[in-house]
Amino acid sequence: MGKSWLRDYIVKRLLYAVIIAWGILTITFILVRVGPSSPADKYLANIAARGGDPAQVTAAVEARYGLDKPIYVQYFNYLGNLFRGNWGWSFSTSMPVIELIKTHWIYSFQLILLSSIFAAVLGILIGIYSAVKQYTKTDYAFTFMSFIGISIPTFWLGIMLILVFSVKLGLFKTYYDTSLPLFSLDNLKALILPVITLGTGMLAGYVRYTRSAMLDNLKKAFVTTARAKGLPERTVIGKHVFRNALLPLVTIIMFDLGSIVFGGAYLTEIIFGIPGLGQISFNAIFANDYPVVVAVTLIGTFMVLLVNLATDISYTYLDPRIRYG
Amino acid sequence: MKKIGMGIALALVLIITLMAGCAKGGVSTTVKGDFIDGESGGDAETLNWILAADATSFSYAGHTVDSLATYDNQLNIQLRCLAKDIEVSPDGLVYTVTIRNDLKWSNGLAVTSEDYVYTLKNLMFSDWLNYPYKSDWQEEVDGKTVFVTPQVVNDTTFSIIRQNAYPEFIYTIYSLTPYPKYIAVNYEGNVEAFTQAPEFNNLSYTGNLGPYKFKEWSRNDRFVVERNPDYYLGKDIGAPYFDQYIIKLFGDSTTRQAALQAGDITSTGIEPAEVNRFKSMPNINVYTIPTRGYTLLAYNQRANGWEALKDKKVRQALSTAISKQTISQAILLGFAEPAYSFIPTTSPWYTDEGISKYGVDPLFGKQLAAELLFNEGYGTKENDGTIRVTNKDGTPVNLILAVNTGSKPAQDMAFSIRKDLLQLGIETEIKLVPWATLLRQYVMNTVPDSKQEPAYNNGSEAVSQQRWDMILMGFNTDLLAPSGSHVFFTTKGGLNFFGYSNPEVDELFGRARSEEALDKTSRRQIYAELSQVLSDEQPVDFLVFHRANVAFQKNVMGIDPGVNMGYNYYIWYFEPVK
Repeated sequence: MGKSWLRDYIVKRLLYAVIIAWGILTITFILVRVGPSSPADKYLANIAARGGDPAQVTAAVEARYGLDKPIYVQYFNYLGNLFRGNWGWSFSTSMPVIELIKTHWIYSFQLILLSSIFAAVLGILIGIYSAVKQYTKTDYAFTFMSFIGISIPTFWLGIMLILVFSVKLGLFKTYYDTSLPLFSLDNLKALILPVITLGTGMLAGYVRYTRSAMLDNLKKAFVTTARAKGLPERTVIGKHVFRNALLPLVTIIMFDLGSIVFGGAYLTEIIFGIPGLGQISFNAIFANDYPVVVAVTLIGTFMVLLVNLATDISYTYLDPRIRYG
Repeated sequence: MKKIGMGIALALVLIITLMAGCAKGGVSTTVKGDFIDGESGGDAETLNWILAADATSFSYAGHTVDSLATYDNQLNIQLRCLAKDIEVSPDGLVYTVTIRNDLKWSNGLAVTSEDYVYTLKNLMFSDWLNYPYKSDWQEEVDGKTVFVTPQVVNDTTFSIIRQNAYPEFIYTIYSLTPYPKYIAVNYEGNVEAFTQAPEFNNLSYTGNLGPYKFKEWSRNDRFVVERNPDYYLGKDIGAPYFDQYIIKLFGDSTTRQAALQAGDITSTGIEPAEVNRFKSMPNINVYTIPTRGYTLLAYNQRANGWEALKDKKVRQALSTAISKQTISQAILLGFAEPAYSFIPTTSPWYTDEGISKYGVDPLFGKQLAAELLFNEGYGTKENDGTIRVTNKDGTPVNLILAVNTGSKPAQDMAFSIRKDLLQLGIETEIKLVPWATLLRQYVMNTVPDSKQEPAYNNGSEAVSQQRWDMILMGFNTDLLAPSGSHVFFTTKGGLNFFGYSNPEVDELFGRARSEEALDKTSRRQIYAELSQVLSDEQPVDFLVFHRANVAFQKNVMGIDPGVNMGYNYYIWYFEPVK
């Protein structure tokens, strides 16, 4: 049988994911379309300044993008197109939505992925060290620094890093250069400051969570037993304590991943001029560019649902006692 | 003889080589490097410019297609696609436009007057496309709105005929750029296909019409154009001299300025507080230039504003209390000058004569303002002679000042105004609202209980959704054609959201846009009268005209700083390494 229950569970969760995504798509579509704003809003002041009729221009712009039809017609047209793989035309950037996302997702993805790895690896290592060396000067230093890391605003940190490492020391370019080849050392170098900016807060959090989870487990009886059995300290910490501490950590890391997909990376993208999905969706919201808003929300929803599913699956490997019915 | 011939040939080769190297004013210029312009005002909407209403879209497309003409810093017309200046008939009704005969589309076809007339008639004037600025090409005839009439005369000449004279219409024609008829006909009538047409969205048709050719547009990131070696104005001098011209977008002014300081970009605008720091840098040149923009304080004269604001004397009193020196010197650090009317000093139509200068000495001061209000019945006198400003029924005056979020100087101005009015005893509540909310809830108006669509001026009975008394806002004046400001100050003006109405002003703007103004002396007189009336009437408090600060790396040569400093950017170059 193996883990056939897990396969059934995954299929069930994926089905739920589709239903949830459809619900969120519908809600987003309605919210964007029934609001008082119109994609023509930005034209109005210019038009009025030239003596034009704002109502006529609004009607013209809405007709140009099919927004003059009843909302249910627009909705079903949109769903029909979506099933045919047509995500619509972005009227604030003048390109097909799918092309827009294809071009820009990678900038967000590489930033989020590298920041998460940077924060998780370093945060866990420091957290373990802090717990094992509890109440030493190093532990106090890491604790102090992690509180600073948690408190520091992303925006301020990014600008400070630019002023020190780019302007004063000249080690990095002041902005992210999209003309660099993606798989190159130059690109990796260009991402160092953005990754530190986005990852610092998460890193500091992981230090605190890891330290706390490790200390909880270090006090447990099975640790005393393991030590009594004469196991080397490295094995006790790595195999027994850390493995048990990992479960809540995975939850937190995956939760963080979901949060930054939904906007946490936006500020970092702004500071370093990275044209990722955060910037694209933010601008689309202000431009009432609903095909982009709905598409990005949909992708974000799927990402979060998949991350949650991955988290649940990872539990079954981290703790074999866990089973889903 | 043969040797002499060889010698002459060699000499000629030498002369030609030297001439090619000394493109301008004997300065050796070579094509090299990328010019990177740092901007943070948001990205363009489309490169299919006829659909755009935002200035950035026009600016992007403008690197690849020249208009008929532009103007320099002294506001002299500089011909671009024009072979000679536009000829205007003595009655001001017929404009004859002659274009150059060396303009080409990308497929090698000549750009002809047919392309211009097609762009006007079949695209800009069409119902299916709904060109956002079609009203620029319309006039009122017998109560009806009609389009002007473009006509092809020959391959390089076309005419535009109006039925009413409007002297400043010529500037609308100067700004005209064409679409290629041979491509556009394939999309005619189908707005969706036209909107998504790859040729227009990739600017692949632009031939030799601009100094640069489109290369890449990464949304919310950068717009890249590359040198056009066939550019019609550059072919004899080797211009333009940059390999690429790149517009890099930044989300924040701090990082944009840091990029300039680090040498990662070539040029950008500088915030007033940073000017001295950048001026002290050895590798940077900072130019302070006048602009067309001004900030005003609109007084709500509609039914949902303070009733007293309909009284000219009250508006004068408030403008007397508000210090323009504080705004121009303390807030904008000297990079602005007090404004008294809608025409900036850089405009050829500016006049100082007879202007009422509220907000500076001698028309400035708490006591003077209080007395003006008291004389109108808005105040009570204490035993010691101090005036306490109140409503006519003796209740305290509480006003609402709305200003959009996101502009630190605008917010500082709002607090300065609040402080000035507080000295009179007027309490001002500042409402900081996002731009879209400001427009929808405070600026746009409708007649109560009607089914009107909200607009900026829905007639004298219309009011905004939210109550307000003052709004801080930025306006622009066309330096060469100030009569365009009629939309702000005439009774039916499309942007007269504050409800000002004065038949004398309506009449003066009408005259500025009529046959009478064909005579420049008459036009000057009309503008002088308009400035005098508006500076006296104070429909708004004209606060300050802004100056901009633009910084460049010091090795950029050929810049002519001024109000339109980009007019000659195709001959800018990097200083050769010595």
